[in-house]
Amino acid sequence: MGFGLLFGIGTLGFRFLQFLVPNRKKRQAEAVLIGAESRIPLNEAVPMDLGGQKIVVLRTAEGIAAFSRRCTDLGCLVSWSKERELFVCPCHQGTFDKTGLNIAGPPPRPLDRLPIVKRGDQLYVNIQSA
Amino acid sequence: MASPITEIVKPGNAGAGKSWIDHIQKDLPEHLEWWPYTLGAIPLTLFGILVATGLLLTFYYVPSPEKAYESVDEITNGVYLGWFVRGLHKTSVDLMILFLLFHVIRVFLTRGYRAPGELKWVSGSIVLFVTFAMGFTGYSLVFDNVSYWGMTVVTNMIGTFPVAGPPLLYLLRGGEEVSGITLLRLYDLHTKLLPVLLGGLVLGHVVIVRLMGFADVEASRRFHPFYPEHTLKMGAVAVGLLVLMVDVVMIFPPVLGPPANPQEVASDVSPPWYFSAPYMWISLLPGPLALWSLMGGAGLFVLYPFIDRALAERRWPMALVNGVVAAAVVAGMVILMYLDMQM
Repeated sequence: MGFGLLFGIGTLGFRFLQFLVPNRKKRQAEAVLIGAESRIPLNEAVPMDLGGQKIVVLRTAEGIAAFSRRCTDLGCLVSWSKERELFVCPCHQGTFDKTGLNIAGPPPRPLDRLPIVKRGDQLYVNIQSA
Repeated sequence: MASPITEIVKPGNAGAGKSWIDHIQKDLPEHLEWWPYTLGAIPLTLFGILVATGLLLTFYYVPSPEKAYESVDEITNGVYLGWFVRGLHKTSVDLMILFLLFHVIRVFLTRGYRAPGELKWVSGSIVLFVTFAMGFTGYSLVFDNVSYWGMTVVTNMIGTFPVAGPPLLYLLRGGEEVSGITLLRLYDLHTKLLPVLLGGLVLGHVVIVRLMGFADVEASRRFHPFYPEHTLKMGAVAVGLLVLMVDVVMIFPPVLGPPANPQEVASDVSPPWYFSAPYMWISLLPGPLALWSLMGGAGLFVLYPFIDRALAERRWPMALVNGVVAAAVVAGMVILMYLDMQM
């Protein structure tokens, strides 16, 4: 009987735990228009919020690239420092170079890079939207 | 309410015509006359103040991302004596953690956790960790910029633990991102689950201390009665503490930072002082190493009575070892806090 009671309470507890976990939203790939390339000045990075996803679009002599602003350390937002030509995270001083590579501080991996598609003069960023 | 303390003490003192004092009376060893032995009663007093002021704050606080900051602003600047109640709540938690740390240092240096007192140490160390969790969930509720990014960083830290980390992160945030659901969950933890847990743990800790008795100290032969001597001493300390707190709140009324901005990290994201040292630690060391060393340190801390026993059996001079360890840890924390202030 003891075992049955424990089993009953255990399954009930498990169901309560399931109640606390919200449903996961399905993600789907989506190309979002971010505007003409000429909108982004050379050596500058424009932060954008695409439906909650915070990205930054950087234009350098080598071309144009989009990164997630989420620092790979603990999720703060990186900002582009024009003087140092680096992405800097203010939380724990993690730094990334212009290719998104982690070069100093605690971040364990490079910034997430998002593919950019050019259609005519317009730029689109591929994101996983919820 | 019949507290377990009365239940326990009763058999020895049972009899007709006994007053309630006989139920709490206990002969304490004379070394408890030394004032640092009242350091545990201070967090207990502060816990009471935290419960009372916290209950008052819930009458105005609204746990939603749109209203949270506004309601804290209203408490601080609008409600009659709101600043004082919030200040008392804030100062109490600062002092509670400070005095818990002093209490830990006292027990550590006097090795009060030795057999049969291991459970006293283990239960007390869990009280300390739950108090830290209360501190974190509490400053998240303010929903200013430091709160928002603090929530992001701390929940992410939980998510980096292997296996249990990611599901726990999802459970705590109630989704993948910090959102209104996260705030509501932290509010529930701060105002319901954790206080009940902490209250139970504190009661358990006190009961365990009464049951296990106090550590033997050489040359502490005579007795120091719990009532009135020890209670009077604790009472005096509590009154002194209240006067100090009222002064501190009036001199340093509570402030409110800029509201949470999910688009931009606050320029100064330094957490409250009690998280300052671990915050610098994770800034200075590479991510996984910093987290694992913090976890390892916490584990060693909880299990220290057993480590002490193992080392003492190997004839290590534990009084000296503890002195060195305590000095090194305190110095390390002070240095890390100083570095945080410089940045």
